[in-house]
Amino acid sequence: MTIRRVLIANRGEIAVRIIRACQMLGIETVLATSEADRDAMPAHLADRAVCIGPARSTDSYLNFRAIVTAAKATGCDAVHPGYGFLSEKPELPDACASEGLTFVGPTGDHMRKMGNKIAARKLAREAGVPTLAGSEKVSSATDAAEVAERIGYPVMMKAAAGGGGRGMKVVHDPSKVSDAFAAACAEAESAFGDPTLYLERFIANARHIEVQVLGDKFGNVIHIGERDCSLQRRHQKVVEEAPAPGITNALRQEICQAAVGLARNIGYENAGTCEFIFDEDTRNFYFLEMNTRIQVEHPVSETITGIDLVQEQFRIAGGERLRFKQSDIGFRGHAIECRINAEIPERGFRPNAGLIQTWVAPAGPNIRLDTHCHPGYIVPVFYDSMLAKLIVYGSTRSEAIERMRRALELFAITGIGTTIPFLHFMMGRAEFISGQVSTHLIDDVMPDFLSQNTAAASGAG
Amino acid sequence: MSDGLSSLKEEDVQRLTRLIESLDASTFDYLQLRVGDLEVTIGKRAPALTGPATPTYVVPPSPLGKTSVGAAPTTPAASSAPSSAASGPPPSLQTAPTPPARATPSGSGAASTAAAGTIEIKSQIMGMFYSQPEPGSPPFVSIGAEVKEDTTVCLIEVMKTFNAMTAGVKGVITEICVKNAQLVEYGQVLFRIRPS
Repeated sequence: MTIRRVLIANRGEIAVRIIRACQMLGIETVLATSEADRDAMPAHLADRAVCIGPARSTDSYLNFRAIVTAAKATGCDAVHPGYGFLSEKPELPDACASEGLTFVGPTGDHMRKMGNKIAARKLAREAGVPTLAGSEKVSSATDAAEVAERIGYPVMMKAAAGGGGRGMKVVHDPSKVSDAFAAACAEAESAFGDPTLYLERFIANARHIEVQVLGDKFGNVIHIGERDCSLQRRHQKVVEEAPAPGITNALRQEICQAAVGLARNIGYENAGTCEFIFDEDTRNFYFLEMNTRIQVEHPVSETITGIDLVQEQFRIAGGERLRFKQSDIGFRGHAIECRINAEIPERGFRPNAGLIQTWVAPAGPNIRLDTHCHPGYIVPVFYDSMLAKLIVYGSTRSEAIERMRRALELFAITGIGTTIPFLHFMMGRAEFISGQVSTHLIDDVMPDFLSQNTAAASGAG
Repeated sequence: MSDGLSSLKEEDVQRLTRLIESLDASTFDYLQLRVGDLEVTIGKRAPALTGPATPTYVVPPSPLGKTSVGAAPTTPAASSAPSSAASGPPPSLQTAPTPPARATPSGSGAASTAAAGTIEIKSQIMGMFYSQPEPGSPPFVSIGAEVKEDTTVCLIEVMKTFNAMTAGVKGVITEICVKNAQLVEYGQVLFRIRPS
C-alpha cells in the first residue's frame, strides 16, 4: 500500500466507514470536519481531526481548497471524498493531482465525462448500451414540447448536471410542458448551477437496477454484481438489495456486461456505478447515468461477495492491479439495506433534527449497522437526515426480509422520529415480499401506511 | 467571609499569588482549593458544570494499543511540521494538542471575551498561519504591540491565496497562541488582546 495517510473529506456514517477501512489497511486518517461535527463520532475515531470551516457545507465540506490545504498541511498523501459533497466534483481530483495528492476515486476527466448526463448518454450509446428515447439539450418550452411529441408522452424532464432526483419532472400531457420546463430549469439552476435540461421517455412501470464496477489503472474492469434500488420516494432511495429479485440470469449477465463495457470504454478507474432503468412491461433495460464515486448502498454488494469495496478503492488508488478476475467474484445469498433516516414518514418524510436519547441497535450474525450515531448525539440541522444503514444477510431473499423485519423491531431510537416504522411496514408488504418492487411502490402503499397508523393511534386511545 | 479574609497572613497571600501564577502558565481553566473552612477558586474562565452536558462519543483506549499512529482522541492536534517533503515518513500525528475553540462560541466577529479581561482573536478560516508578510520580514505584531481594529495581525493562506486578518478590536497583544507557518483550524484562537 503506497497510501500512508488519507484525508477524509466527509462526515457521518461514510466517514466512519472509510476510517474503518483505513484501520484495516493500516492507513492513518485525518478527518476534515465542520465546526458542527468536530465532536461527532468520526472526529474521535480518526487519528486526527481538522476543523476546516463553519457548519454550513458551502464553507466547509464543499470547500475543495480548504480540503487540499488541510491534506497537505497534515502530511496526507491521499484524499477520500466519500459520497455527496465534493465526491463528483472534478475540481477536487484536479486540485489533488496538481498538489501531488492521490485522489481515492476516478480522475477529474472521468467525472466530467459522466457528470454531464447528455454527454454520458452519448458515451453509453457509443459503447452499445441501450438508452431511452430522448433528446439532446432542450433550450425552451417550445423545444421541449416538440421533442415530447416525437418520443411520446409521458416524458421525464431531467437536469443535464443532475443527480439525487433534483431537477426532475414527469410530464403527462402537452398542457403541462411549459410549467414543468420552468420549474425544472429553476430547480436545476439552484441545485447544480446549470439550468440545462434534456428529455427522456418516462417509464411508468419501472425498476431501478444498478451495477457496481471496479476498474484499475491498467484498464481492467470487473463488476461486483447488480443492486435493485427501486424503493424510492421523491427519487431518493430508501431500500436497496442485491441481487435484484425476479430477473433471469441471462438478463443479469446482460446488464452487468453493459456496465463493464461502458466503464471499460472510457478507461474508468476506481469504484463506480452504472444506473439503469428496467421496464417491467417490456423487460428491457436502459442506461440512466453513471455515478463516479462509492455509493450509499455499497454494503449490499459487499455482503453477497465478501469484498470490501472501500479497501479496494484504496488499493486501486495506490496503483495496485485489481486483485480479482471476474471469475473470482462469487455471489452468495441475499442482502438488504434499509436507510434509517431522521424523518417522519407520516409527514411526507419531513426531516427532524435533535437529541438522540435512546439508541439501542440490533446486532448479531448477519446484521451490519453502518452509523455515526450514539445515545446523546445531537443530529445537526445542517446536513442530510441519514442516521444509519441497516444491512442484513440471508441465504435466501425471504430469510433476509424476515431478518430485516426482526432487526427493525429490535432497533430502539427515542428523542427523534425515524423512518423505522415505515421500513418495518414495507418489509411486511406482500408486494415487497413477492419481489414486485417498482419505483412507484412507496407512493402506492403510503395511504395504507397512514391509515394503519391512524387506526393504531385511535385504538391506543 | 470577612473573617476569613482578614485572617489571611502575608504568607498566605504570597502562596495564593504563586498559585495564580502557576495557573496562568498552565493549560487549566481554574483551580479549586479547600483547606478547612477556607475555599479558594481561581479561574481564567468559569468552572465547568458538574457532569457533561451532553455525552459525546469517546473512544476508549484499547488494551492492545493503537495500531496506527494515534493522536489524543479527544482533542484535534495541530501539526508541528507541515512539511510537504515527499521523501521519508510523514510527520507524526502525535503532536501538541491544540484545544479546539469550542468553549466560547464567537459572535458576529472572530473575537470573544475571555474571563481574564482579554479578547480571543479566532481564525475565521482554516489555513496556514503566517505571522509575517514574507519570510525574513518582521512580524505583523508581537506581544505588547498596540493594535487598532483594522491592524493586520497575520495572513492565513489557503492554496496560495493569502487572506489578511485584522485585529477587530483596539488593544494590546498579550499572547500569540500559534506558531508561524502552522496549520490553524477554523475557530482556533490565534491571539489574545487586552482591549483598551
